Amino acid sequence: MPNEPSVPTEPTLDELSAYLDHELEDDAKARVAEHVAGCAACQARLDGLRQAAYAIRALPMETPPRTFTIPAKRRESFRWAPAAGWIGGVAVATLIIVVGVQHLPFRPANTAGSTSTISGGLAQGSGTQNGAAAPLAAPGVSSNDQRFSGQAAAASGNAATVADASNGSRRLVLDTDRASYTTNARMMVSVQLIGSPATSLNSGDQGLTLTLVHNGVGVALNPVGVQSWNGTPIFGGWYDLASLHLSEPRSGDYRLEATWVIPDGSGRVLQASVPVKITP
Amino acid sequence: MDDRDLVGRARRGDPEAFTQLMMQYQVPLYNMALRMVGRPDDAADIAQEAFTRAWVKIRTLRDAPFKSWLFQIAANLCYDHFRRGRRYGEMPDEDTNKVVGLGILTPDPQERAEASERNRLVRESIEALDHDMRLAIILRDVNGMAYDEIAGVLGVPLGTVKSRIARARAQVQEHLQQYPDFFPSTREDAHAE
Repeated sequence: MPNEPSVPTEPTLDELSAYLDHELEDDAKARVAEHVAGCAACQARLDGLRQAAYAIRALPMETPPRTFTIPAKRRESFRWAPAAGWIGGVAVATLIIVVGVQHLPFRPANTAGSTSTISGGLAQGSGTQNGAAAPLAAPGVSSNDQRFSGQAAAASGNAATVADASNGSRRLVLDTDRASYTTNARMMVSVQLIGSPATSLNSGDQGLTLTLVHNGVGVALNPVGVQSWNGTPIFGGWYDLASLHLSEPRSGDYRLEATWVIPDGSGRVLQASVPVKITP
Repeated sequence: MDDRDLVGRARRGDPEAFTQLMMQYQVPLYNMALRMVGRPDDAADIAQEAFTRAWVKIRTLRDAPFKSWLFQIAANLCYDHFRRGRRYGEMPDEDTNKVVGLGILTPDPQERAEASERNRLVRESIEALDHDMRLAIILRDVNGMAYDEIAGVLGVPLGTVKSRIARARAQVQEHLQQYPDFFPSTREDAHAE
């Protein structure tokens, strides 16, 4: 009697779903793939599970309606925790002040000579809108005036700091978690507005724009604000590069630019930029 | 800087490090809570409380990954939310606030209306799930966690994670099939090609 081709055991619902997520061991994966290839019913079940997963994944990621902070009361209770109970109140207060001064920026980016002040309006008014790809006006500042990330990049990330020439305590610090991403990666960005005259955590109120630029075309990113424990407004978030309206080919050398029109009516602008490489 | 460095600094009482962790996780954590409880204010309360508890307890965190630990705190708060008798809240129109997908140009009004309705139906299908299945599928398909991460958050074996996600997807699919105008059968699509 001739051997009939054997059909692998019909996969369970759990296996089909895990197969979609690449969460099966190699042998189970091969068995499911082989069965599904020859079984219309299982192919239909798999398609249904896929449709459900994709429908949920297509829901937009929402911005929180308010900012999250460490409540001051809890912060104190942490600092006065029993482990440090033997430390006198004065000593702890001193420590808080010292730590506060040392930690003004997240990481000490290089600020020497990194002055970039632009008078009047700037690229912000050049037609770039959230979500729209628009040409960016060239910033009216010479590259010598800006300290970009080449030297300023911290060991663990990609950072640039720009100080306000007229106010030494005011700085714009821009950084990303990495300098290079694949096209479907998520990029974490943080922008610190140290010494901002405004306390608002709305990027528009702060005069902050964040733009990913490639070949003179920029895509605006919408930064979400939080307040640092010392009151510094910090903006940024995670950005899904696959969802951004980038021109094809998406891979290439980009610049991430933070432009801060200081909200004090002076029209002064600080601009920091870091290189971002997107690879296939 | 990775979580481990930041957690190490936060455990030593560095609020800036913890702020950076908050920044990193605020959107995914809020969205997990939002898809669990439905109402933005409730979700924001849960996310805030999760961050507060994480900050207060961070010294107790040893080798466990911060992300799983934080999401576990938030998941427990979601269960508390339902234990207190709070129900799933209907979301207001939610197409104005998105972070991910910012670069996508806004489609025309009809497409927007259709997308909004599609999203509403998907949210409705999630709401119809029991809490355990809902949380599992949210952690997988909203937060993109791997099964072992989800097992860490839920404190259940991998097989349970696999089963909850599969059953949740099957139920969501069953729900969506009632609206073929918005969710046409993929088989029909294939035949049409």
